[in-house]
Amino acid sequence: MKRLNQISVFVENKPGRLLDVVEVLGNNNIDIKAISLADSSDFGIVRFICEDPKFAHEILTKNGFTASLTEVLAIAISDRPGSLAKVLKSFKESNINIEYMYGFSAKIKDYAVMIIKVSDLEETIKCCIANNIQILSQSDIKSIV
Amino acid sequence: MIYDDEIETLPREALEALQFKRLQQTLERVYALVPFYKEAFKKANILPEDIKSLKDLHKLPFTTKDDLRESYPYGMFSMPINKIVRIHASSGTTGKPTVVGYSKADIEEWAQLMARSFVACGVTDKDIIQNAYGYGLFTGGLGAHYGAEKLGAAVIPISGGNTKKQIMIMVDFKSTVLTATPSYAQLLADTIEEMGLLDKINLRVGVFGAEPWSENMRQKLEEKLRINAMDIYGLSEIMGPGVAIECEAKEGLHIWEDAFIPEIIDPQTLEPLEDGQEGELVITTIKKQAMPLIRYRTKDITRIIKEPCKCGRTHRRIQKILGRSDDMLIIRGVNVFPSQIESVLMEIEGLAPHYQLIVDRVNNLDTLEVQVEVDSKVFSDEIKRLQSLQNQIQKDIKDLLGITTKVTLVEPRTIQRSEGKAKRVIDKRKI
Ligand SMILES: [Zn+2]
Repeated sequence: MKRLNQISVFVENKPGRLLDVVEVLGNNNIDIKAISLADSSDFGIVRFICEDPKFAHEILTKNGFTASLTEVLAIAISDRPGSLAKVLKSFKESNINIEYMYGFSAKIKDYAVMIIKVSDLEETIKCCIANNIQILSQSDIKSIV
Repeated sequence: MIYDDEIETLPREALEALQFKRLQQTLERVYALVPFYKEAFKKANILPEDIKSLKDLHKLPFTTKDDLRESYPYGMFSMPINKIVRIHASSGTTGKPTVVGYSKADIEEWAQLMARSFVACGVTDKDIIQNAYGYGLFTGGLGAHYGAEKLGAAVIPISGGNTKKQIMIMVDFKSTVLTATPSYAQLLADTIEEMGLLDKINLRVGVFGAEPWSENMRQKLEEKLRINAMDIYGLSEIMGPGVAIECEAKEGLHIWEDAFIPEIIDPQTLEPLEDGQEGELVITTIKKQAMPLIRYRTKDITRIIKEPCKCGRTHRRIQKILGRSDDMLIIRGVNVFPSQIESVLMEIEGLAPHYQLIVDRVNNLDTLEVQVEVDSKVFSDEIKRLQSLQNQIQKDIKDLLGITTKVTLVEPRTIQRSEGKAKRVIDKRKI
């Protein structure tokens, strides 16, 4: 299973809303492995990765948030100059469009982990395999502290 | 099904003759017994006997809500208080409430009209009616209750609110009919869905009224609850629920003309308008004893449909109420009813019908902000999809009304829920 479930949460652009989301998760012992906030002028989308996304989704919905699960990929990129460019070049050659991307703060060995949302998941997985780009599974995520 | 075949299908000519007879009796009654009317008729230089046919109705003076407030509490009664058996009052958001009295015969008549209304919209004596209209000074609860008992149905007098308990009772008691305001029906429907109980309910008919609601809201309620959602009209000053009701044809509401005479006027010039033209509904009661009203201005905007109805009833219909002239917003000179915005929102697939309109004035220019809740059905992980939803709403409103609005997406449950009449508009220009 190469695909990863990301949680996306709708938040209004009001002070403290991101905090509300994070607090609900914290109170339920949900550990956020990676997080990003995308925003427009009056609302935003909090996207994050955790160990048990279904549980996190349930907790958020119960607490009155609008949340959804989105399939994304977590790819490991060696922590050396030019590595990301190499990956992106492979994607470009396969005509894969990246809708958004954000990084894990933690590293595994000499790798940086990037979360990407792409136009075509199947094609991207094929491309990664062909180009030796490592994709992390949901169980790999557990080991990242 | 027709409850009172003879009166509901009475040929027009006979019905109008009956109306005129009852109008004359009513005019004599109020002239003799209600000082307010004696005064008003004198001022208009008219006597009851000057009204020689229904066509003369327009010569009579109007009655307004302010008139009722000024005669607070009992000034409009045409009977001594010992003959009154019930008193209702409508909530006064500004100033004193308006008080309505009923004699024993009035209560009986109301129950009859309400029973008639239930049958016209598909309710039978075998039904279990969950009555979620508020009981109390508001006429909704007791009006529907007496009609249900008159019909012989089983009525559950649960009143409004207490949503979780409503749903438990709805499931356990196998309620087949729900009577409520449409906004409360919406809240119930959403909560039933959230609790995963949509398959456990036995509703087949909803009788919704006391506030304007759109055709699209009907569709949503019908789909979600798998019911026939029917519109009922009434107002406490005139009687309460059961003044007019939709029949199975769902093409307008029959107004019970053996008890009421409807007219449509231009709310600005106050001139009567022809059947078919849109304007303010004016009602004269012709059967009420305790508190008859002559040409009462309802503030509700509709039109009269005089064409015969498929169902065979001869009583004319009014179109589903578009809005109240009180609720009408004037945004940069354009008349806007909240129900029109609602219908735009309902057209959009998956959009929850929870919205609020914020009107303000910035640099001497009216602004209208439409706040819409984003639930899981329309939520997208992509900003641009949500922005295109905003743009679509904005464009649809512009296409329909010609005004530019700001559309704001808000989190679920941030717009206040209503267990009675919904508050859709916040007009900051008035604050
Ligand atoms: Zn009909």
